[in-house]
Amino acid sequence: MTVINKQGIDSQQPVGKSKPTGREFLNQYVKQEKVALRSAVIAGSFSTLLLICQWLAFVYIAQAIIIAHEPILNQTRLLLVLLGCIIGRTFLTRIQTHFSQQASLNIRNSIRKTMLSHWRMSSPMRLTNTSTGAFASQFVEEVESMDGYFSNYWPQQALAIISPLLILCAVGYLNWLSALLLLISAPLIPLFMILVGMGAEALNQKYSTLRQRLAGHFLDRVAHLSTVLQLGGKDEVFAEVESNSERYRSVVMKTLKVAFLSSTVLEFFTSIAIAMLAIFIGFSLYGAITWGPAESLTLFSGLTILILAPEFFQPLRNLSQFYHDRASALGAANNLVESLFDTADNTHNLNQYESSHGDKQTSLDSSSNNNLDSSSNNSCANASRLVLSQLVVGFDLPLTSPLTWDIPTSNLVVISGDSGSGKTTLLNTLAGFMPALSGSMTHSIKGSIAYLPQKPWIKNNTIYENLKALAPNATRAEMTAALDQLSLLDELAANRLGLDTLIGEHGKGLSGGQMQRMAFARVLLNPTPIIIFDEPTAQLDLHSKALIYNALKILKDKRILIIASHDPLLIEQSDFHIKLGDIKPSKV
Amino acid sequence: MKYWFNLIAQSQGKRLYIGIFWAFITALSGIALLMLSGWFITATALTGLAISAGLVVIFDMYMPGSGIRFFTLSRTVGRYVERLYNHDSILRLISTYRLTLFKSLSNLSNQQLRATSDSEWLGRLTADLDALDAILLSYIIPPIVATLSVVTLTFFLGFFWFDLAIYLGSILLLCLFASIRITVTRTKEYGSLTASLLNASRSDVIEHLQGAYELQSNGLMQQHEQSILKRLDEFYRAQAKLNSNLANIQWGLDCVLGFIMMSLIIAGLMAINAELISGPVAIMIVMMFLGLSELLQAIPSQFSRWGATSFAAKRLKQLVETTPPAQTAMITKIDSLAVSLYQNSKIAVSQQQTLSFSLTQHQLVNIQGRSGSGKSTIARLLTGAESLASKAENAIYNPTETTTDIRINGEFNLNDIDLENWYSHIGYLEQRNTLLAGTLGYNLTIGLSDDDLKASEHDIWAVLKMVELFDWANSLPEGLNTWLGEVGSKVSGGQARRICLARLLLRDPQLVILDEPFNGIDHVMAARIWNNIEPWISPRMTILLTHERPDYVLHKNFHTVVF
Repeated sequence: MTVINKQGIDSQQPVGKSKPTGREFLNQYVKQEKVALRSAVIAGSFSTLLLICQWLAFVYIAQAIIIAHEPILNQTRLLLVLLGCIIGRTFLTRIQTHFSQQASLNIRNSIRKTMLSHWRMSSPMRLTNTSTGAFASQFVEEVESMDGYFSNYWPQQALAIISPLLILCAVGYLNWLSALLLLISAPLIPLFMILVGMGAEALNQKYSTLRQRLAGHFLDRVAHLSTVLQLGGKDEVFAEVESNSERYRSVVMKTLKVAFLSSTVLEFFTSIAIAMLAIFIGFSLYGAITWGPAESLTLFSGLTILILAPEFFQPLRNLSQFYHDRASALGAANNLVESLFDTADNTHNLNQYESSHGDKQTSLDSSSNNNLDSSSNNSCANASRLVLSQLVVGFDLPLTSPLTWDIPTSNLVVISGDSGSGKTTLLNTLAGFMPALSGSMTHSIKGSIAYLPQKPWIKNNTIYENLKALAPNATRAEMTAALDQLSLLDELAANRLGLDTLIGEHGKGLSGGQMQRMAFARVLLNPTPIIIFDEPTAQLDLHSKALIYNALKILKDKRILIIASHDPLLIEQSDFHIKLGDIKPSKV
Repeated sequence: MKYWFNLIAQSQGKRLYIGIFWAFITALSGIALLMLSGWFITATALTGLAISAGLVVIFDMYMPGSGIRFFTLSRTVGRYVERLYNHDSILRLISTYRLTLFKSLSNLSNQQLRATSDSEWLGRLTADLDALDAILLSYIIPPIVATLSVVTLTFFLGFFWFDLAIYLGSILLLCLFASIRITVTRTKEYGSLTASLLNASRSDVIEHLQGAYELQSNGLMQQHEQSILKRLDEFYRAQAKLNSNLANIQWGLDCVLGFIMMSLIIAGLMAINAELISGPVAIMIVMMFLGLSELLQAIPSQFSRWGATSFAAKRLKQLVETTPPAQTAMITKIDSLAVSLYQNSKIAVSQQQTLSFSLTQHQLVNIQGRSGSGKSTIARLLTGAESLASKAENAIYNPTETTTDIRINGEFNLNDIDLENWYSHIGYLEQRNTLLAGTLGYNLTIGLSDDDLKASEHDIWAVLKMVELFDWANSLPEGLNTWLGEVGSKVSGGQARRICLARLLLRDPQLVILDEPFNGIDHVMAARIWNNIEPWISPRMTILLTHERPDYVLHKNFHTVVF
């Protein structure tokens, strides 16, 4: 038994989870995979350690041979260390990649699962009203665009601090002045990058509208290509595409000229640091500089510092390369948060679905019941009936006057009314897709309410898969029988492929009547105690109509059928006829 | 893919070489900086030791010092110029791609064109176009720059140690080409597979959501998700395979380069022992290798998207390969129109009886039918947006003969008339509002040639008066230059409707098709507008599609077809 009423819904609403920001959303998933992500960072850090060892070993050998003129055979042990470091590093890099990619894959998978379960609990009205394409590209592209953030940016973010610090320690041990030089230049880089970034952002803002208009132009014209052709604007738009692409280029280049400065800053500091260190070390070794720590420099320490200097900047350079991964992930996360934590109306739909379709038939929240019979547990045994009590439907304003029905089973109810009189809204409310404005609905029937929208849903798949999607327990023999009953077997599946015939866009396109009959075949295979139809016979040819009347007759037995229709033949057959158009929408 | 490579070579030509030159300068400067610094430090160390040992040595400190400063500068400047220049090239390329595509898309048949307004289709087009960027930035410039750097530097090395230069150069070139080849062959298949699996899961999701009413009400949403999850699983597996292949190639390359470095170090040091080369030169060689191996190490990841790019390239190529439709008949004027429909699958009424009507000048046909009854199909048939030749496909289900015949001037079949020619004689107000992102004036005058009345602002204001938008347009601060569309002022549905109508009024079609012209406009306003445009309507042939009797029409040759 299910009760829907306004008070009930309100009381069922859980304390709303607060909407996180895009960054919080991402962090939440980072936490989930922290073991793998941290392992990646640890592998990266060890790789830096091995890098330091590798160069220390190399320079030590080099000094022994160049300065002390030792034969290379004396250095076999260190040569083995060198080889071990080189190969060990490649191995650690491989491990780092493995962990970070694993983490990213798991995270993307669980984000997608979250989306699916969110959709499971959302009203179909919301899912189909907005473009399903937009949801799909969120699910596919936007989640995919987070890959770089988790697999590249996040580990690198940590490594950009750890690795330079490790190198700084090594350099500092060899020569503190060189370390100081690196230490000073390191924070300057982000500083300058931020300054340049601010400049680029200001330019971006300045041209933002122009850029958006120019960027959208091509797609807009492609989307409206048929209109353009009809209006004879083909050549004109062609010229526009050319000139707008050119203008777009010049605008983007203006911004890039500044934006690229930031990577130039990085490059500049890297080069300058190497150059300064090289000259300082060179002059010290030559004996031209004698103050401070210059004296203690040897070829060993000098060369090591020189080789380590570019490695000091490398993690920062990598990070800046991955920076756009962060931007795109944040953008995608913000969008996702918007749609996942949308409005309260999702949460109450969620409750309805749980109560009407949950595994536990008695899952209904008893507090949601105000004055109706509370014998929900034994009501399943009662004769099936649908009771409406003062039910008013509508979005914000009521579309219908209060409806009070008491419909026993094995009855056909036809609802008619002009467009805009609230037929579809009433059907959606009865099906539980939206809350009623006031009043309540009770049906003492175990099981679910099936809903057939005006445009039947056809999958681009085989007939078998189409039927199975909504009648998972039907056998192939039952399917064949149901199709035959609706004369679809001859029309669609007559060839040797039978149930495996492809239909939908990928296979045979179906006529309107055939689509509707296919939907009916599913209902025949998996009938529910209450079935709601939205205009099942509109736009149909006589042949299809006759078959559908017949199917309705079969279904009516022990069920309640609610049909929104104008079809006079259906109205004639109905047990109850409700005309909504008579009632003018009343004001609150 | 080859097609796009050629297109780049053709359209970019000289720019391609200049871009490569700058990238090469940058790479070379970076390596040279390392080489010179390494040589310099070792040399100064040796000199310093010699001096302290009391020897008189002449060593020019300043030449290498200024060399180091020069390379510092050339590397920084080179990097900036290179990035800027090559991004400019990319933007130019995008422009070329767009033009090529647009030209081909306008050749698409009308039925195919309907897909282009679909947001999913547009999203895919954008993604495919973006994927082409990789051709220049990943597949052309980096391998060429790496090759040039290896050749130049080994040539330089030849002056010091000829044999080593020959071996090292050929091994490095071998590594370069092998890593490109292996990366492409080992990732291509999975790259295409991941791209196509992603597309398939997009369709799965759309289908899943479209079935939300039926699935949700039956409580079968979760069950139906299984097919999406299965597809995703395949995708993750393919992607993991792709990633691990790539990581293994990278690992292999790193190992090979590591062994080469190890051998180089041992060879260099032994050469010092044997006094073949000096200490500073040995260090310089090691530093050179360090710089070169950095270029080589980037290759596998540069080529990792090859599969996805070739997938996108193939799809775009199909779009480019359209041929103009074959209709050839030209008409100079529409004098009469006869429509006859029987058993059209989208028009319910035609299932039982033949639906026919005809029109000559000064006549108006009003077709009435509830929404979804197929009246828009008639409009689409007349404008070529719906195929007339549905006979063949329909024959499979309907054994009976299907006939859709639209005859112009008593002699031409609409199928045979060149579409561009046909469009110049008809005016079609679609059921949906089709405003283009552009100014109000642009939206009204698009497609009008200059000598028509593009210049005449007077006419524009006159038609705005006819659709009762004069005051609104006049109140806009920017008037006719007001930008409409997403990044501009919002117009209401009723205003958009009237703008679309005004757009027709500026033209001189012989046949006018109005599909629900006053959708979203109240009765009083509709009657006023109809009254205003009546003088424009009456001399023409008009097909008016409405869902109920239009009270406002007081036409003398009024003919009604009810669905």
